[in-house]
Amino acid sequence: MAIQTGGQVGRSVGRLEGRAKVTGRAEYVHNMRLPGMLYGKIFRSTVAHGRIRSIDLDAARELPGVYRVVTIDDVRKVVPNPFYGPAFHDQPILAAGEVHYVGEPVAVVLAADPHVAEAAAQLIAAEYDELPAVFDEVEAMTSQAIVHDVLKPAHMFPDLKHLQGKTNTNVALDFRLRRGDPAGAFAQADHVFEHTFRTQQVLHLPLEPFVSIGEPTDSGLTIHTASQSPSFVRIEIARLLGWPENKVRVKVPYLGGGFGAKLYIKLEALVAACALIVRRPVKISLTMEEQFYTLTKHASTFRIKSGIKDGRIIARECEVWWNGGAYADIGPRITQKSGFTSPGPYDIDNVHIDSYSLYTNLPPAGALRGFGIPQLVWAYESHTDMMARALKLDPIEFRRKNILREGRAQATGTLMKDAAIAAVLDRLALRMNWTAPFDRGTRPVKRGRGVAIGFKAVIAPTTSIAIVNVAADGSCALYCSTVDMGQGSDTANAQIVSEVLNVPAESVRVVHPDTDVTPYDMATLGSRSLFHMGNAVKLAAEDAREKLAALARELGLPEGSNIPVAELFQKKYKMQAGNIVGVGSYIPSYVPPDANGLTPNATPFWMVGAAGAEVEVDTETGHVRVTRLVNIADAGRPINPKIVETQLSGAAVMQFGFTMQEKMEFDAGQVTNASLADYKIPSLLDIPPAMLNEVVEAEQKSGPFGAKGVGETATFAVSPAIANAIEDAVGVRLTSLPLTAESVYRALAAARNEPLDD
Amino acid sequence: MTPFDLVEPATLREALGLLDPDDASVRPIAGGTALMLMMKAGVFRPTRLVSLRAVGTLSTIDATANGELKIGAMTPLSVVERSAMVRRHAPVITRTLRTLSNVRVRNVATVGGSLAHADPHMDLPPVLIALGARVSVAGSAGERTIPVEELFAGYFETVLKRDELITDLSVPGQGARRACYLKCTTRAVHDWPALGVAVSLERDGDMVRDARIVVSAATEKPGRLSGAEQAVRGGHIGDALFRQVGDAAADEAELITDGQGSAAYKRQLVRVYVARALHAALEQTSGAGP
Repeated sequence: MAIQTGGQVGRSVGRLEGRAKVTGRAEYVHNMRLPGMLYGKIFRSTVAHGRIRSIDLDAARELPGVYRVVTIDDVRKVVPNPFYGPAFHDQPILAAGEVHYVGEPVAVVLAADPHVAEAAAQLIAAEYDELPAVFDEVEAMTSQAIVHDVLKPAHMFPDLKHLQGKTNTNVALDFRLRRGDPAGAFAQADHVFEHTFRTQQVLHLPLEPFVSIGEPTDSGLTIHTASQSPSFVRIEIARLLGWPENKVRVKVPYLGGGFGAKLYIKLEALVAACALIVRRPVKISLTMEEQFYTLTKHASTFRIKSGIKDGRIIARECEVWWNGGAYADIGPRITQKSGFTSPGPYDIDNVHIDSYSLYTNLPPAGALRGFGIPQLVWAYESHTDMMARALKLDPIEFRRKNILREGRAQATGTLMKDAAIAAVLDRLALRMNWTAPFDRGTRPVKRGRGVAIGFKAVIAPTTSIAIVNVAADGSCALYCSTVDMGQGSDTANAQIVSEVLNVPAESVRVVHPDTDVTPYDMATLGSRSLFHMGNAVKLAAEDAREKLAALARELGLPEGSNIPVAELFQKKYKMQAGNIVGVGSYIPSYVPPDANGLTPNATPFWMVGAAGAEVEVDTETGHVRVTRLVNIADAGRPINPKIVETQLSGAAVMQFGFTMQEKMEFDAGQVTNASLADYKIPSLLDIPPAMLNEVVEAEQKSGPFGAKGVGETATFAVSPAIANAIEDAVGVRLTSLPLTAESVYRALAAARNEPLDD
Repeated sequence: MTPFDLVEPATLREALGLLDPDDASVRPIAGGTALMLMMKAGVFRPTRLVSLRAVGTLSTIDATANGELKIGAMTPLSVVERSAMVRRHAPVITRTLRTLSNVRVRNVATVGGSLAHADPHMDLPPVLIALGARVSVAGSAGERTIPVEELFAGYFETVLKRDELITDLSVPGQGARRACYLKCTTRAVHDWPALGVAVSLERDGDMVRDARIVVSAATEKPGRLSGAEQAVRGGHIGDALFRQVGDAAADEAELITDGQGSAAYKRQLVRVYVARALHAALEQTSGAGP
């Protein structure tokens, strides 16, 4: 089928909201004030695990200007069962009898002056009977310290049902996949390699921290929130309150970044409860520092074992432990949805996967740009390079010999389709000038280069619904609940509408999420929106186009007539009146995995990302400078090439920070670097001076105009590419992130048998 | 933030009168770049801040005939950075300021404030110690002069009394001495240093006649390394000497483990950076601009 193009798709349309943002006019919840609004300030737990013996609120209540101090006892009066979460109903709106991590919200002070609320929150004191705590994900498997007395899975996921009511465990999901005969294959292998890799806990740090406002209304409740998932917020708040969905209205303007942090329920249940308790609007906006106590990215441990015969990987065993922190959030979904790709983009007949989601007494972990994939690629691509090195094979040739090619079965049994793995690897080799001579540097600075490739299956099955409204003058508006958090979805969706209706993209109005106005969307996450919402938007626009054609027929106009839309309405209604509403609803096909984790249809599409790095290592200090970073992706056929490129560079830079710099440091569960002064994200001085971001020629046939998601793709392979380059430069292998100067120097010192003291 | 008094006296005498020797919640404020962060974090809750902004006599830069610089305590760092006089007589200060924090901070932070704050990670103190600089201090009990080397009592602590103020900084003429400051960051390129090394030395043909070697950031307070200074004195310039002095410095420095690195790793950084600083100082031409 030929791709239909009216010149709108495939064009680098400038961001529709660009002018409003750079002139400071774009709307954010952060700037919003409502009449009579109170500000809430949270008092947080200082212990990692404990029973609350007492909370002294008197001094806070007595501070002039304090309107109310709220605890879980007050919350229960409006929400009798105050536990929420997308996978488990495990997280209380405020601590309910126990605390499970340092920083957990225990009480909220409400005041008209946020400074008064803050001062009062500091006057609250709580006493705890401390309980044993566990912090490490592997220890949590067998620990005597149990984070939650009983597991409480939500009802929507069938694969969590067997965990209902379980006690004496920290395992929030045990996903398994069994394919072929791994034991037999390992026995036949010429070589068996086994390595263990770890990743650290990091966090999203959008420059707009979490912020929500609860506003009681005559008909129910309105929540203004910086959320990536307005539809989920409406459904979950309605469930908590025992209300019908239509009494809860959720409005989302622009976001100052999300990256997976602002999903599901964060502050929304708390502001809803507070607003209903005091019958006034309540706003809670977190500080940058408080983000460290809200949501993080999973730390992980991955033991990977491979059997090699004649240069082919014939067996692979993967054991992955995900550190979910104190509340499950979406961790169990990461454990499964990413877990089944843990053998990597390789054609392996015999696979054994165990992937465990674990509760610990650390701040909760959830989705962060890649949904677990960067942790997996870190391990399997470091492992790939270590094997190639041991076998004296060229790392690119070794990968070429083993990668999953089109039509071959992935670990689940799903056949690969529209996944340009081979093309991405070939382009990477080309852009890295892999076969050309390479300058190895001179002491003390040595040079090296490395590559890596990863893939991801989009989460399934999920639904998107869109409405396209054509007004009587022919102007169009798109109503959808996709959240533009900086990724450019408004612009891309407008391009899809404009392509179908043959109008300029710049003229399409995109109505922001408002659950009273815009239809359901699962959420803006996991690079799903361009594909799912894009398909729904395309269907809605096509529906509108069909209805316009039907109107033309009804008016007796010849087929294919080019009469302007405004004249159609004029002819029909005898004045400028009426509208045409096109509706599109999209849910891809999907088959859930069986008991062995196998399915013929694991995902609607695959994302493929590869990275190549050139580094300089100071052998006297361990400092690593990445001088060049190449990112290659399969993003299908780009709707907006410029946005695709900036998504690739943005994702790569973010993962670069997680690779080289960022790490939440803990002391007995307390984050000790909870500020941007001590937790360093990359600045322009840190990022590689040369970066290349490219897509290969590809098409996602089931995607809108051949496109697919790209928000996460360039995160996949950055970390192992750099670690592989470091080994190439100085001969030491790092197996834990981040790759700090000290960790490199320690490895160098250990390699010459002069290990540094701890 | 709880309310507090902000007073802006016009004279030094008035300012001294508003300070309180017995009350830690009364403090002078100069540029405020450090103090405001402490207040925002709730670490410091003032009852009264005595702003020195309106005290007119504290922000001049002068040089004497023998090259001694006198810099008023309220001079913003960016003014020092752009001063031709400073560049002529102590170019290491100019070079250091260009990489100190960022331009927004330098436009506001002052010379006196950055010394009185006594954060061991700051860039100027080790440089000033290496140059043999001194501060003049005024107090209700009178005036005194303190070598910068003796100003710091510990981590964020000075020997200043609560009712004393730094009024100016004097940097002696450097003659033929050359100086260099190197800093090493470990968490990001732009960060508080994990280690600062300042070196000032005098050359005698192919020998080093005398050197001052100062480390900061990795230590509780900036300070000279007398053993390393001893090791360099009279030594023949070359990589072997730099390595030997680096080793001496690494043996001698009292290093702390923190978020920027372990003491064991910082010891290696001291070894490498002292050697590199000596090398770099010798590459500098004396007197002329950077």
